[in-house]
Amino acid sequence: MNLKRILSAVFGIIAGLLVAFVFFADLNKDDNAASENKSKAEKVYVPYGELDEYYMLASGGHSGQLFVYGIPSMRKIRTVPVFTPDPATGYGYDKASKEMLGDYTWGDFHHPAVSETEGDYDGEFLFANDVGNNRVAAVDLSTFHTVDMMSLPNMGGPHAGVFVTENTEYIALPTRFARPLAGEYASLDDYEKEYKGVVSMATFDRENKEFDLAYQIMLPPWSYDLSDAGKKMSSDWIVMTTYNTEFATTNLEINASQNDRDYIVLVNWKVLEKEVAEGNYNEVNGAKMIDPRDHKGAIFAVPVAKSPHGVDVTPDGTRFIASGKLAPLMTVFSFEKAFAAIENENFSDEKFGIPILPYEEVMEREVDPPGALGPLHTQFDDKGHAYNTMFISSEIVKWKIDTGEVIDRIPTYYSPGHAAAAEGDTVDPDGKWIVALNKIAKDNFLSVGPSHPESMDLIDISGEKMEHIMAVPVDPEPHYAQIIHRDKINPVKIYEKDEKRENAVWKQEDAHIERKGDEVHVYGIAMRSRFVFDAKADRPDAVTVKEGDRVFFHITNIDLDQDITHGFGINDYDLNFEVQPGQTSTLEFVADKAGTYPIYCTNFCSALHQEMSGYLLVEPK
Amino acid sequence: MKNKTLSKTSMIVLIAAAMMIVLTIFMPWWGMKFYAPQYPEGLDIIVYPTTLAGDIDIVNGLNHYIGMSLFSNESFPELAYMPYIIIGIAILTLAVAWLRRKSFLYGLISVYVFAGAIGIYDMYRWLRKFGTELDPKAPIELEPFIPPIIGENVIANFVTHSYFTYGGYMLGIIFILLIFPLWKDRAK
Repeated sequence: MNLKRILSAVFGIIAGLLVAFVFFADLNKDDNAASENKSKAEKVYVPYGELDEYYMLASGGHSGQLFVYGIPSMRKIRTVPVFTPDPATGYGYDKASKEMLGDYTWGDFHHPAVSETEGDYDGEFLFANDVGNNRVAAVDLSTFHTVDMMSLPNMGGPHAGVFVTENTEYIALPTRFARPLAGEYASLDDYEKEYKGVVSMATFDRENKEFDLAYQIMLPPWSYDLSDAGKKMSSDWIVMTTYNTEFATTNLEINASQNDRDYIVLVNWKVLEKEVAEGNYNEVNGAKMIDPRDHKGAIFAVPVAKSPHGVDVTPDGTRFIASGKLAPLMTVFSFEKAFAAIENENFSDEKFGIPILPYEEVMEREVDPPGALGPLHTQFDDKGHAYNTMFISSEIVKWKIDTGEVIDRIPTYYSPGHAAAAEGDTVDPDGKWIVALNKIAKDNFLSVGPSHPESMDLIDISGEKMEHIMAVPVDPEPHYAQIIHRDKINPVKIYEKDEKRENAVWKQEDAHIERKGDEVHVYGIAMRSRFVFDAKADRPDAVTVKEGDRVFFHITNIDLDQDITHGFGINDYDLNFEVQPGQTSTLEFVADKAGTYPIYCTNFCSALHQEMSGYLLVEPK
Repeated sequence: MKNKTLSKTSMIVLIAAAMMIVLTIFMPWWGMKFYAPQYPEGLDIIVYPTTLAGDIDIVNGLNHYIGMSLFSNESFPELAYMPYIIIGIAILTLAVAWLRRKSFLYGLISVYVFAGAIGIYDMYRWLRKFGTELDPKAPIELEPFIPPIIGENVIANFVTHSYFTYGGYMLGIIFILLIFPLWKDRAK
């Protein structure tokens, strides 16, 4: 009897729940998602006639190029060639850029750094490192053209650069691989003795748009992974993460991951600058090489959980945060405490002649969110939060710098390397957006076969909780990016007309050809819609040379009108370059093939673009 | 007899007019603005009594497609002697103010109106010349046209707006100043 009662009661309740579910359950989840997506879309939609609020300047990795995006729309605006020739703009084809690139055909651009004043982006120049071929380049942000490039001797891939000191006094580039100086031969058996880790300290003359290698710092043959410059109270210092303090020379995956602790190196560049000025350096392959261990107060190290990746200085400059990579935690170090230890000569050890600061006393806290694996890099907002990318657990973790409290975690798709927050590595972050620069895209986008794009997540960080807005594909491979407010960048629309510019011709009737021995110099103009090479000739747009002549086309685009670019291609000669409005460029080549070769404008310029052409006639010998 | 001389007020007004006449040398008188889908911000031709200004090179660059002759200061000889004419009229105005004779003022007004009429005819002549004497070899063939001195016109993908501007307005104000003494010192 009782059982029957209980059963009927249970059935009654179940039936009641079923009825309640049928009538009251919220089956409109799809509608909710749709309206959520709509409000996300509204956040990033930039209507025609309006512009994005931010530029994102992203490195192009082993494409060697710079990618320019608009934030929040995530529209790609332009690829700017830096280390790799680019036929579309003639970069690496015209004489000036060809000489700047040398014979290199690629570069591996990892970390962009916008020039800074008082620790904030000033938007004048962007510096780029080439891990592949040991170079540093400068992009003028008034033209977005690469204006200078410098090769760095004694380096093994400046991966840990570039970062700039507070007022761009230096552009620092620490090496990734230890290498014998000048890259000379030395057996790997002599690694500890013969191999060096070198940091290049470059300066940049903004007026003349020119690099100079101020000096180089010789360090132990550790690998330097990433680094940052101090800010405000710590502005005299640079900090660098190391790995392979094991001095492994093979199978680094295993052998460089043995020590429980590697180091963060602290270098005082002010001390070194003074010593170099006093002549305390050795000339090594054209570089002023200084060993910081010879100079008191120049170098220290602090132990850190093994194989750290990024190290980032907080906006107020009081702390630096190391991302553990293999030991999955973020370590917050205090500059104040480090300075106190230095002051009191409170060293726990000495390694390779470098005083080691006591970990327990310099470390402020370890932040270890459960299950957050593979922390790589830290960005900041304006409210005292740090944002860490987690490569392995594929997420971004938001936490409070002062307490280590984890505020929020959000998945990314998939495996972020760096992230870039709006002005998120300056003294004054905006706290608006963060873009995760992911390494893996998988099925996020329409498939293009086995070679996938990379993927970027746009995340809104303006609220307490982070909000994932969208994922966007990107060509391989942005490692790091900086997001800078549009008001800080002031590009010119055309090149200014400079009557005194070498090789320039500003009037059609001044176009002429000069012959000096076997050199033929064409001083010509491009305008809508014609070339004029020799104003007095019957055919002003035809050039006749002799086989074997060295030909120089000095072409000025005299259309001083926005976005009227002219290209210049020579059929069958594998040559093409571009002149922007008001620009003069030179194409130099040897006319080693006799014959008749059409010349034509390659950048669609006007209604009569198709007619904008001429002939190169090469008379046989 | 009294009606044949000008009052002190009229004299001051005429002196002011003379000064304004001199000032117009530094002002743009007339302009033309060109809009096209590719030029939503517009291209300008701005005419000062002494020079052309604005996007002359760009306009010339585009005009060669329809075979229009080049605009430049050299193509308008008037620009060279306009300042002398303007200063001449200013001196005449000062002289009338000095002499305070109403009959001279009539003469001055006649000169002013005549000069203005000639000026407008001259502009029309140039606009007609530029719009109708198009190079027959130009890549884009266009019906000859005469852009208006004031108002809108459509040429190919361009809409042009012709207008008088500050200097032009001042010429109008000067005219009012010149006839003001006729009212002020009218027979009562």
